[in-house]
Amino acid sequence: MKAHRRNRLGLILFISLGLSVTIGLTLYALSQNINMFFTPTQVAQGEVKPGQAFRIGGMVKEGSLMRNESDLAVKFTTTDFISDVPIAYNESLGILPDLFREGQGIVAEGSVDSFGVFQATKVLAKHDENYMSPEVKAAMDAAKLLQAEGSSFSNKGYVE
Amino acid sequence: MWVWFAKLGSPKWFYEISGRWLPWMAGAMILTIGFATVWALLFLPPDYQQGYTSRILVVHVAVAGTSLAFFPLMAVAGSITLIWKMKLADMVAKNAAPIGAWFSFLTLATGSLWGSVTWGTWWEWSDSRLVSMLFQFFLLIGVISLRSALDDRDQSARACALLAILGCINVVVIKYSVEWWNTLHQSASPVTIGGGGANGPEFWVVTLLMILGVYLFMGISLILATRNEILERERNAVWVQEIVDGS
Repeated sequence: MKAHRRNRLGLILFISLGLSVTIGLTLYALSQNINMFFTPTQVAQGEVKPGQAFRIGGMVKEGSLMRNESDLAVKFTTTDFISDVPIAYNESLGILPDLFREGQGIVAEGSVDSFGVFQATKVLAKHDENYMSPEVKAAMDAAKLLQAEGSSFSNKGYVE
Repeated sequence: MWVWFAKLGSPKWFYEISGRWLPWMAGAMILTIGFATVWALLFLPPDYQQGYTSRILVVHVAVAGTSLAFFPLMAVAGSITLIWKMKLADMVAKNAAPIGAWFSFLTLATGSLWGSVTWGTWWEWSDSRLVSMLFQFFLLIGVISLRSALDDRDQSARACALLAILGCINVVVIKYSVEWWNTLHQSASPVTIGGGGANGPEFWVVTLLMILGVYLFMGISLILATRNEILERERNAVWVQEIVDGS
């Protein structure tokens, strides 16, 4: 490779490297602003100012979903399995996504009121990267159940 | 190796050899995309949560994956232009930009459709994956505008090459946005080779076929556009005159 070409290659590499580092550090510094939502634990630790509008992301806790019989109010608890935050929503603001259910990841927009309840103005459903056919899901659940039963049986046998 | 490299830089050689590749590529593309489309629409099992909506993943993943290839491709071609001043490399880089913009647009459109059903929203400004992909679309529009903004061809080639190299940083951001930050968008699916688990072969084989087909489509589009560009830029060359007179 001729000298002027090598110099030019060096310059290109130098500029790209310098800019990558600059942009990398900028993104790292801004990461709290780039994050789409706070986790319930972050909220419990007081990272969000009271009254501030923000997004919260977590799982809908199993057995926490309550619908009001007379109007469209919905209450549930969101959890990251460390901390819980209660959420109140009204479906008159827009119906919940099809994927919304207990055990599902959600992102809600709103703010925490004086009672510590997150008053949501919008609720979105997250889904994870694991695609499964209903048959595979059923088979995996059955295998898990069998394993759990098997271990409890063997424990029992051991104790007795 | 350098002989081969110099040969590849010759527009005439590229025009001839790509003419021989095209029918094979077109045949393979029709087979893979056709097969994957029929399979995805008729036989792909529903997802246990999303139902048949998840079938859009086959198209979305394929166009999204392909759209990430354009900046690296333009950066390699641009570096060759900057270092060796190879004419062919610049022709490829020039024609990659509009095709890449279309792929980015398709990624945003298919993702929007999918999100409207599963997430309950068409668009979220707060999601870094979505916004960085939109940024790539705008960057590609920027490359196209920059190309036509400068009158001098060599100057615009150099400017576009630099922008293409810088755009690669955004590709890394798009790729890892779902790992680095909290997003609504899910992360990349780890495939399982054997059956019985999540993301088994019943999902990824058809997706892989579609990815292959879409890459072939991208290659064919780029080759056709580049051949057009060659004929235009080399219109005074004897061999081009012969082709024009012959047909």
